[in-house]
Amino acid sequence: MPFTKKPHAFKAAINEVTLGTGDKAVTIGGENTYPFYTFDNTTKNKPVIGAEVSDIGYENEPEGYKAFFGTEDMVERAKKAAAMDEVAFICLHFAGADPFGANKSVEECIEKAKAVAAAVDKPLVIMGCKNLEKDTELFSKVSEALAGKNIVVLSAREENYKTVGASAGLAYNQKVSAESAVDINLAKQLNVLMMQLGVNPKSMVMNLGSAAAGYGYEYVASTMDRVRAAALGQNDTQLQMPVITPVSTETWAVKESVAEEADMPEWGSREERGIDMEVVTAAASLSAGSDAVILKHPESIRTIYKLIDALC
Amino acid sequence: MAKFITIGERIHCISPSIRKAMAERDPEPILKRAKEQIDAGATYLDVNIGPAESDGPELMTWAVQLIQSNFDNVPLAFDTANKKAIEAGISVYNRSKGKPIVNSADAGDRIEYLDLAAANDAICVALCSKAGVPSDNDERMSYLMELLERGLGLGMEAEDMWFDPLFLVIKGMQDKQMDVLEFIRMIAEQGLNSTGGLSNNSNGMPKHIRPIMDSAMVAMAMMCGLTSAIVNPCDLRLMETIKSCDIIKNNNLYADSYLEI
Repeated sequence: MPFTKKPHAFKAAINEVTLGTGDKAVTIGGENTYPFYTFDNTTKNKPVIGAEVSDIGYENEPEGYKAFFGTEDMVERAKKAAAMDEVAFICLHFAGADPFGANKSVEECIEKAKAVAAAVDKPLVIMGCKNLEKDTELFSKVSEALAGKNIVVLSAREENYKTVGASAGLAYNQKVSAESAVDINLAKQLNVLMMQLGVNPKSMVMNLGSAAAGYGYEYVASTMDRVRAAALGQNDTQLQMPVITPVSTETWAVKESVAEEADMPEWGSREERGIDMEVVTAAASLSAGSDAVILKHPESIRTIYKLIDALC
Repeated sequence: MAKFITIGERIHCISPSIRKAMAERDPEPILKRAKEQIDAGATYLDVNIGPAESDGPELMTWAVQLIQSNFDNVPLAFDTANKKAIEAGISVYNRSKGKPIVNSADAGDRIEYLDLAAANDAICVALCSKAGVPSDNDERMSYLMELLERGLGLGMEAEDMWFDPLFLVIKGMQDKQMDVLEFIRMIAEQGLNSTGGLSNNSNGMPKHIRPIMDSAMVAMAMMCGLTSAIVNPCDLRLMETIKSCDIIKNNNLYADSYLEI
């Protein structure tokens, strides 16, 4: 009996969400198959890569990274990252805003964000410092300062979704990411709450949580799998937002990427290890359903871009 | 599994206000009931215009366009003895939110409603009965097979035939209830869809009892594999039970606000 191919495209689809404006705007989502199931249907929008540019920590970056960027200046690094064809958007990571760290003022962060926005034409994603109070203020004010730029704020959480959703999503019409730390029921609940607040589901993306491979990553993968299965298989409109996964912030913080070669000679080059961690984690996230991954090292960005290009 | 599908039964010409609205082509009472049911979480709305012998096609066309244009093309079930009215309704029906449902065929006089559904690419409610209440599940199954074979022969997909086990009134047929539930399980075991007029079971009971009995019945029927029911969606207890059963069956991902969505 001849083999009859039966493609399995779902009747439901992930929402399409556009980031940024103008020629360099990028649309993510739109798929109605599992990730890379190109035998079921062509992938409407290929997954994309964002480049993380952090406001602190340049001195600790590996040599290859420094060689590529050549400067600590955030705006210059954002310009260099944006010049890479493989990079679809820039993720400005204001880690230095942390009151228990460098404690940079919100105003200082916003000045940087505005300077980058003036210098690059690719979409911007704003990542905070994980301090709830500071991030809430930063996200609200940056949404105002970059009004019209169609940025993404990463992310609204259970504790601050009302303020962040109201400012970024409602007042300034930016895109809002809802962050749930590997909690599938909370992921849905946050989306429901934001929609009840009045945020348009088409203006929302999800950060379902992240981890470095080997650090509880299996929970991340199974959460993403289950979310995608509900979104497509059960047509769950509360879960059809595209997924943006920050990878570099996790993978460059674990000992495999941090330990110097002098301390761990048997592990070999620190930079190669860091790139490997970033690449494997990003590849796993993409195959579990991320529509965008945020990476840091140019080598990782090039590698993952090739992977995406080869698979869809 | 997909979520349980509710078909709201409250646009029915047996209601004096709806009958009057249909006769006078007065949109308000119909839109009010449509909105109430959609707000309460109904997936489909049943539109029952009765026998409508004189003006069925024209009345159904009016009702379909009225409801769909006001409520984002909400999917509808067509419920009338007038086949021409069903055809007229389907001809103006917008399918973007779901196929139309023909309500209903049986294995007796109404078997041609299946032909009507097949010819119009519609879902068909298929009552597993011929004349009167089947005596046992063997008889119900023979009707199911007859309907299934006819539908497949006409080119329908099996999933578009929603088999109705015929819910029976407890006050009078209490001893038959477990048969009905067992038959739902037999339908589900064949991978087929099912539906039915759930509230038949509580007919004649005091008003405050009916939501309780209907909720118990829907929970037991969903356990057996019922995939849809024709219900009063404004019965909050019933709808909360259905949503909770959908969570337990893993038809819908849990979130704290699951009752609100």
